[in-house]
Amino acid sequence: MTQAEIKLCSLLLQEHFGEIVEKIGVHLIRTGSQPLRVIAHDTGTSLDQVKKALCVLIQHNLVIYQVHKRGVVEYEAQCSRVLRMLRYPRYIYTAKTLYSDTGELIVEELLLNGKMAMSAVVKKVADRLTETMEDGKTMDYAEVSNTFVRLADTHFVQRCPLVPATENSDPGPPPPAPTLVINEKDMYLVPKLSLIGKGKRRRSSDEDATGEPKAKRPKHTTDNKEPIPDDGIYWQANLDRFHQHFRDQGIVSAVANRMDQTSSEIVRTMLRMSEITTSSSAPFTQPLSSNEIFRSLPVGYNISKQVLDQYLTLLADDPLEFVGKSGDSGGGMYVINLHKALGSLATATLESVVQERFGSRCARIFRLVLQKKHLEQKQVEDFAMIPAKEAKDMLYKMLSENFISLQEIPKTPDHAPSRTFYLYTVNILSAARMLLHRCYKSVANLIERRQFETKENKRLLEKSQRVEAIIASMQATGAEEAQLQEIEEMITAPERQQLETLKRNVNKLDACEIQVDETIFLLESYIESTMKRQ
Amino acid sequence: MAGNKGRGRAAYTFNIEAVGFSRGEKLPDVVLKPPPLFPDTDYKPVPLKTGEGEDYVLALKQELRETVKRMPYFVETPEEKQDIERYSKRYVKVYKEEWIPDWRRLPRELMPRKKCKKAGPKSKKAKDTGKGTSLTNTADVLKKIEELEKRGDGEKSDEENEEKEGSKEKSKEGDDDEDDNAAEQEEYDEEEQEEENDYINSYFEDGDDFGADSDDNMDEATY
Repeated sequence: MTQAEIKLCSLLLQEHFGEIVEKIGVHLIRTGSQPLRVIAHDTGTSLDQVKKALCVLIQHNLVIYQVHKRGVVEYEAQCSRVLRMLRYPRYIYTAKTLYSDTGELIVEELLLNGKMAMSAVVKKVADRLTETMEDGKTMDYAEVSNTFVRLADTHFVQRCPLVPATENSDPGPPPPAPTLVINEKDMYLVPKLSLIGKGKRRRSSDEDATGEPKAKRPKHTTDNKEPIPDDGIYWQANLDRFHQHFRDQGIVSAVANRMDQTSSEIVRTMLRMSEITTSSSAPFTQPLSSNEIFRSLPVGYNISKQVLDQYLTLLADDPLEFVGKSGDSGGGMYVINLHKALGSLATATLESVVQERFGSRCARIFRLVLQKKHLEQKQVEDFAMIPAKEAKDMLYKMLSENFISLQEIPKTPDHAPSRTFYLYTVNILSAARMLLHRCYKSVANLIERRQFETKENKRLLEKSQRVEAIIASMQATGAEEAQLQEIEEMITAPERQQLETLKRNVNKLDACEIQVDETIFLLESYIESTMKRQ
Repeated sequence: MAGNKGRGRAAYTFNIEAVGFSRGEKLPDVVLKPPPLFPDTDYKPVPLKTGEGEDYVLALKQELRETVKRMPYFVETPEEKQDIERYSKRYVKVYKEEWIPDWRRLPRELMPRKKCKKAGPKSKKAKDTGKGTSLTNTADVLKKIEELEKRGDGEKSDEENEEKEGSKEKSKEGDDDEDDNAAEQEEYDEEEQEEENDYINSYFEDGDDFGADSDDNMDEATY
């Protein structure tokens, strides 16, 4: 864990769960796994608060626990999982594009609550959808649970590890913590539920004021059928599956940019065919014959078998090697080289970062070194056709920023500089790591800046909220236009301007966070895939 | 090294030409201060991507930020008493739903005291209503009034929101409310008993004579 990552984790935890949880979470990230009492002692937090914080963190899959010898339970934070919180909007949006509003709300609820039982999700989502619909219309539970089943079938949601059923006649004291088991077979198996009913339109303030009356809900269900049908079966969003989807989208759009729309459609088809058959961390997809691909092309995509074969040959011949040919049977077997594709995407990211930070001439040197692997300084100057002095300057600048690394090869064992080759090279993996680290830092800075901006204008924001509330309530009671105008004028022109500037700034910072996270995703996937192969 | 200097030879132990400086070229100055906090950039950043998708994700992000604050998982720091009670503060708390974790999935040690804490203020409320006026002191009365006010406000805003609803339904809703309350009270009582049991069970296990925890105990006494 680097400092930058810890800082980012801390900011994310604080925004999502408040300061106490943040304190406990960061402490766990810093120190590794710890028992409850030590956490409370080291953070100087009261035991109750630590317990509550741990409950929240466990609920959101951010902390796992393990029973050690002598029954001590140790808690361990999942740092990389904490960083995923930054990507929540993107997961939700993806669910929307794939499974429309219902899918969006299902994933949103799962992310907001960490884990939930299917029946609870379906009820909540149906209620929420009903609330947005016109009067008189309601959302059927069956429809929502259909979408849920589809999400599970495509592995976008999965079951959480289960608590094994214990017999009540268990002798001896129960263990200090339950051991959760993962049943690989049932991971995506939706329990058979007969969810009948419709979303209820809730009177908003009544519901909120009392909180969902907890006592009421179980009672309701116990009236109908004995226990909650899917009691104890919890679901969570399968982030790895989302990542696989992001990766596939990245590859498809890269192919579209490099060649054309048709080839990207072919690649998309191949990726879709291997979605479930290939594990998300595999370096290659399963081999697919061109006949199979031809059959699976989306309907209405009118290309002949010959054209498809030509495209596949072209794709396989492309130097980037997104698509590879693995055999000749079945009209040619093709695979998608996922590892190579991620490498190309990461390299392209590095290149464009160099270009935007240091200018196109530096980018030329960078690409040169990337292509020729190892170059001496003199060679760089010559090949790049840039005057020696400038080339040196650029090379050193990139060296000092760690985009380029230097390899010493001594001719004699004394490492005397005069008898040593100095070779410049690009170590893509370490450069990607460095860039990733910087991305974490930038996101942390962005969040901090956003919080600062909001804090600076806190009074103004509160005022505008109040005024808006007053206007809304007056409109509801049917006030006159003049009255409304008068209240609107409570916010003066300069204040209005200030508010607009603030809004623009916050929007920009938020958008930055989202887009930096896209780069983070790419670099992380590349590093992960490279580490797996080593 | 020092000896070399006097003879007018290079002050370096290696041939500086090998690193790319020609003979007699001025070497860059030694940098003794940290780089500036906000350095000038030679190149302006490229504009952000914009589009329908991006706008939607942005809206989602901002909405999500507001939503998480209203989730029961957002643990607020117990704030210190303010001299002036702020009118707006009342509405902030109201929105939270309650969250009862599935204790089967959690280590047992997280449970007892946690429940005690959660049920603390409410069980007090339950006791108040149960035992009638015998225990009421001024603070409790104030609290009660406040709560009633809140409830009144809630209903009022309800009216504003949905004018169409007839008065008949309203009265029905009132009944519902009472039912809920009764149910809640019942649950609290159960919880209370359970909590007492838990407390006794786990009393020694908790090891309250833990040095630094003495403060916490004092906190607890206030419940």
